[in-house]
Amino acid sequence: MRALVIDDSRAMRRIVGTILKDFGYEVREAGDGRQALDVLEEGWTPDLCCIDWNMPVMDGLQFVFAVRANPALRQVTLMMVTTESETGQIVKALAAGAHEYLIKPFTADALRDKLALLGLLPEQVTA
Amino acid sequence: MSLTATSFDWVRQLVHRESAIVLQPGKEYLVEARLLPMAQQRGLSGVSELVEAVRNRPDPATTRRIVEALTTNETSWFRDGDPFTSLTGTVLPQLVAARRPDERLQIWSAACSSGQEAYTIAMLLSDALPNAATRVSITATDLSRAMVERTRAGRFSQLEVNRGLPASMLVRHFTRAGNEWEISPTLRRMITASECNLAAPLPRLGPFDVVYLRNVLIYFDLPTKQAILGRVRQLMRPDGWLFLGAAETTLGVDENWERVVLGRGSAYRPRKGA
Amino acid sequence: MTTSQQAQPISTLLDPATVQAIADEVWPSLVGDGEAFVPVPVAPPAAVVSAWVDIVGPWTGSVVLTCSPATAQALTENVLMTRPPTVVDDEDVADALGELANVLGGNIKSVLPGESRLGLPRIGTAPPRGRLDDVCALVGQWRGNFLTITVQGTAPHPSGTEVPQ
Repeated sequence: MRALVIDDSRAMRRIVGTILKDFGYEVREAGDGRQALDVLEEGWTPDLCCIDWNMPVMDGLQFVFAVRANPALRQVTLMMVTTESETGQIVKALAAGAHEYLIKPFTADALRDKLALLGLLPEQVTA
Repeated sequence: MSLTATSFDWVRQLVHRESAIVLQPGKEYLVEARLLPMAQQRGLSGVSELVEAVRNRPDPATTRRIVEALTTNETSWFRDGDPFTSLTGTVLPQLVAARRPDERLQIWSAACSSGQEAYTIAMLLSDALPNAATRVSITATDLSRAMVERTRAGRFSQLEVNRGLPASMLVRHFTRAGNEWEISPTLRRMITASECNLAAPLPRLGPFDVVYLRNVLIYFDLPTKQAILGRVRQLMRPDGWLFLGAAETTLGVDENWERVVLGRGSAYRPRKGA
Repeated sequence: MTTSQQAQPISTLLDPATVQAIADEVWPSLVGDGEAFVPVPVAPPAAVVSAWVDIVGPWTGSVVLTCSPATAQALTENVLMTRPPTVVDDEDVADALGELANVLGGNIKSVLPGESRLGLPRIGTAPPRGRLDDVCALVGQWRGNFLTITVQGTAPHPSGTEVPQ
């Protein structure tokens, strides 16, 4: 299982990445949407992207649009992980093609619950 | 006055046994902070005194409160998803076929805590049935008045809605109220919340088509488990469904139930002629 | 001439109890389980550092987190869950303190009326405050160390136009 953690905060990338590694994920990081697209263009296709909204260069919403415009990346699950928490923002992200939405601040258990909803806990996949 | 190593260890084992949540060493301050109000409420000077009191005189109600206090914000919406996927996948179609269209389906969330289970059921049914608001009534009960009031209010913190509630359901069924989220009035009206002690004779409720009695029996000894299951059965329709927690079963406790495998989980139905 | 005059000052849109409730969720999740921002003031330190994010919308201003450099370092160690001998550098501190301000700011933005945009976090000397009544300040402590969370309107630019974002 592979996850790409996209956030301009190193601290947040480390927090999300550490939790995902504990679940058995292979994790790569990107500091903005553009860097994340570079990783995908390399051919490293993750099962899951955790995507911050507000980032320099290319924000999370633009990244979601870019991934959804590419049929080759249809299998990639997109989850926003952001402090943006108005109903309108959540609706906008889901309409753009994000599958789930985790609001900051969150606990490790909350991230785990979302993975369970998405069927992306490694134990669910192997079961 | 501070927490002794023995008390911390006892609490650690209790919480792990009852909730599978591990309190790492170093979380003494957390136990202290969360349990001190409970100790003070009971006129005890500290958390170790509270632990001593419960160890000397075991009391399932207090034990459950201790676990709840230490696992607050731990309640997930679709906790152990199977009892919910089974509800809409198997149970509901059978009930709808078996009941008259004007008969209300009655569902009981028997240890509702802050209401996540009852509202999860309400959301699923309102998505599955066009006339859910008039077709279904959900009874939510808890031992604690504070929990019953929280269920009635239907307001949840951001940390609470982050716990396993699909984002699509959050935006469809909740509106923001300050920094909290409030369930829609339509769903709130489907739920009647009241206090109820499962370990004592039950008020006249039901009869229920579906009962969620999850993670309650684990707190009680065998005779009490049997008494609770017997009383619950009295309030159920003969073709009703009972859901227990993932670590709970009627097997070896009360033989008046039939276990039915549903997906990856199971449900229990009153045995015919019992 | 009226561009910097907010229609409604923050004091009518947000109360300190809401900011505290938001801090009560941010601290345990980001700083650590059992951690809390305690709204009991302590003596301010000689030197302070701030991290902030701007909110631009019907109400425009900043959400500013201020503490001593040593407290910023300790907060960072908590956020990053580092253990000795690992040490955090200035970049870590800027990043972790900025993320704390970002998460506080996003949640505060969500309780304000209308649609607003959130800027990227910055660190340094806090921006000047605007009108006196356009401030919602929480003065308190974390683990006994001075810390404030201030939601403040933008100061009018001398020329009478908005400060560029």
